[in-house]
Amino acid sequence: MDRLINGVLFENMVKGGAENLYANKGIVNDLNVFPIPDGDTGDNMYMTIDSGASAPVQDGKNSLGEVSARIAHGMLLGARGNSGVILSRIFAGIAAGLKDLEDADIKTFGEALKKGSAEAYNAVSVPVEGTILTVFRDAVSYAGGRINESTTLDGYFTDLIMELRRSLERTPDLLDVLKEAGVVDSGGAGLVYIAEGMQHALHGGEITRTDHGTSSGAKSVNVDTFTSDSVLEFGYCTEFLMRLQSSKIDIDKFDINEFTELMKSLGDSVVSFLDGTIVKVHVHTMTPGVVLNEVQKYGEFLTLKIENMMLQHNETVIENRFEFRREKVRKKFGVVTVASGKGLTEMFRSLGADEVVDGGQSMNPASGDFIDAFEKINADCILVFPNNGNVILAAMQAADMYDKSVIKVVPTKTVGEGYSALSMLDTEGKTPNEAVEEAKEYTNGVVTGFVSRAGRTTEMDGVSIVAGDYIGFSDDVVYSDSPDKCAAASVLCDRLDAGSYDVLLLLAGKDCTDEEAERLYNELNGKYKDTEIIMQNGGQPLHDFIIVLE
Amino acid sequence: MFVIFTDSDTDTTPEIAKKYGYHLISMPYSYDGKTIFPYEDFTEFQSKEFYDMLRGGVLPTTSAIGKEKYIEYFEPFFKNGDDILYVHFSEAMTMTFTNMRAAVAELSEKYPEAHFYTIDTKAITINSLVIVEEIGDMYISGKSLEEILEWAKTEVLCFSAYFFVDDLKFFKRSGRVSGFTAAMGTLIGVRPVIYINAEGKMVSIGKERGKRNALLSLLRYIEENGDNVKDHHIVIGHTDVPEEAEELASMVREKFGADTNIEIVPANPTAGSHCGPNCLGIGFHSVKRV
Repeated sequence: MDRLINGVLFENMVKGGAENLYANKGIVNDLNVFPIPDGDTGDNMYMTIDSGASAPVQDGKNSLGEVSARIAHGMLLGARGNSGVILSRIFAGIAAGLKDLEDADIKTFGEALKKGSAEAYNAVSVPVEGTILTVFRDAVSYAGGRINESTTLDGYFTDLIMELRRSLERTPDLLDVLKEAGVVDSGGAGLVYIAEGMQHALHGGEITRTDHGTSSGAKSVNVDTFTSDSVLEFGYCTEFLMRLQSSKIDIDKFDINEFTELMKSLGDSVVSFLDGTIVKVHVHTMTPGVVLNEVQKYGEFLTLKIENMMLQHNETVIENRFEFRREKVRKKFGVVTVASGKGLTEMFRSLGADEVVDGGQSMNPASGDFIDAFEKINADCILVFPNNGNVILAAMQAADMYDKSVIKVVPTKTVGEGYSALSMLDTEGKTPNEAVEEAKEYTNGVVTGFVSRAGRTTEMDGVSIVAGDYIGFSDDVVYSDSPDKCAAASVLCDRLDAGSYDVLLLLAGKDCTDEEAERLYNELNGKYKDTEIIMQNGGQPLHDFIIVLE
Repeated sequence: MFVIFTDSDTDTTPEIAKKYGYHLISMPYSYDGKTIFPYEDFTEFQSKEFYDMLRGGVLPTTSAIGKEKYIEYFEPFFKNGDDILYVHFSEAMTMTFTNMRAAVAELSEKYPEAHFYTIDTKAITINSLVIVEEIGDMYISGKSLEEILEWAKTEVLCFSAYFFVDDLKFFKRSGRVSGFTAAMGTLIGVRPVIYINAEGKMVSIGKERGKRNALLSLLRYIEENGDNVKDHHIVIGHTDVPEEAEELASMVREKFGADTNIEIVPANPTAGSHCGPNCLGIGFHSVKRV
């Protein structure tokens, strides 16, 4: 008996796989970094396998062929997300391999799993190695190659799981995004849990299914991560089931490949397939409306889900940060920098800072704030960019107090120096000292100018300052005074000889309106033809403008 | 008789193709639900119009062409008893050549006498174009198929291209450059320089601050890695920055002599869909790629 698999056993195994995935789906969710996150892989895979495992039995149809077909059909209807859709194709392939069978021996079962792998590759428009596809293919090929007369189902699954795990460990070598994030592929990890649950079911009796609920409506989405100023960069994860309609097309002549090409012209990350007269599609698109209109020319929707991926993207980045700590994937270099203002913080994060300590001119962070930031980073060496003369000491003190990483302070005195160093720095293959030296070099010759409101009337550096006016200064020397902040900035730029620099970065402060920033940008652009002028919304307090020249 | 083919991803235009006798395979790109085949769906590439559209936020995608399309291209020549040499863009960047092989396999059953040869330029755009043009020269001068294939064995990797990118969004989305990562950061006044390695893959090899430094770095790469530069084709390609292309050309002429022959081409829209607007690069004869 331990060498034959029948319908009842297979169903139990799938249920066992679903249960085990449910128990571990948090871990799988946290691995989700690839490639543009489109939801939580653990949840998506669970909902997919669950809808297969709980597909209703149809009057005593219990043969292996019937059961596997029922499970595959259930998964088709419930498949969500890229990994979920691929998982459903794996089971569709398995069902095709087990078609019409009452039961199967290990060899036949192993062949069916290979079919599952092939079917999964077919469903993806551009298969990517280092994903669930690779992990499953490696495992069925390895376990299949080891089948002999004495192989038991349990032994087969032991081989399968061993190679699933090994292949999973290799995924970061195949996919740079994984390596950089220090994680393994999430879909592959989900498969491991499913296979382990399936093996467990071989030993036990009937699996009791707990209703965990499959509603995704409860998932909290932080809508603040897409504001009225956000730019739609990643588009919408769009998924649907569509029933072909004979009133619209000649269903017999429907070509799923042509349809897939159409989907690919409207978006990417396309996964699509045809099951009877139902078409399942997963696509990332900037224009879901166009997709829906095109699709409706072929049939009508059965289910439909559209999610803004920017929302999920931001969430996942945060989750991933926690992952670094828990998974003990130690990076060579981490980066802590200091800034205040939403725009500046975002800018530094996108330049590669792991942690941005809130602070600056108006509020100097304490050593403890730095230590809190170090604690969140798991790296051999942490580079610190204080970005303010008054903050350097606190950073150095924190460095002395911390011993879990080598802390190197790059004594950047302004946000401009910090930006300059971080945007150019490449730590790859460097020692901590080399990295610090390189970072310091990039700050050479960088000039940072500030525009702020004057607090009192006085005379400094030959400039008459009127309380309430805007003054332009750099390195503690005042260069300009004007009731108009743009004029103060413009004169400051002239005095600093802005036109002789390659790049002028203009950071608009919190109290600066779009109109003011635009006006200054246009004026500078007209004045300095040879300088590349870049405007960013820094959102910093105190300084209406920060001007970085390099 | 053998006929020569190349594809639009090598920046070969119908005009260039005609000059050397190439037959041109069109590699498509898509946006807003439309798939466009360069030089089949339009006669002249409107570079400015296309890259302005990308600047406006359109992110086109590219796709492989199907087996049937390859059969359409190749069958008339096999039928006619000709052999085919196809000088193509890097196989390491695409899935399309799987379809090509399927087409050729089908055709060789039908035309068992026909021979099909390929030269992988292990490159794209201008880096491929310099190779395509050198082979075109040999073809015109009556070199045999064997001579060309022999030449390609060593010479393909002796042409390099370096180019800089303005907006990483396009590459990040397409995933076509392996060195690019989140850690690379956003581009704020900084331009990564990209090189196509000996495997035919794009890798990022450094960053330059500001346009001026980026231009100077391209010049530095030619000086450092160039080999008999003036005796071979030199091509500057750009994604709608013609003034910068001219500027680079005069910088190169200043270095290598006023008589240096430099061709300036707009990068083809299919490759341009991956690198975005405001990119500039130069392809030339070099020491062997690594």
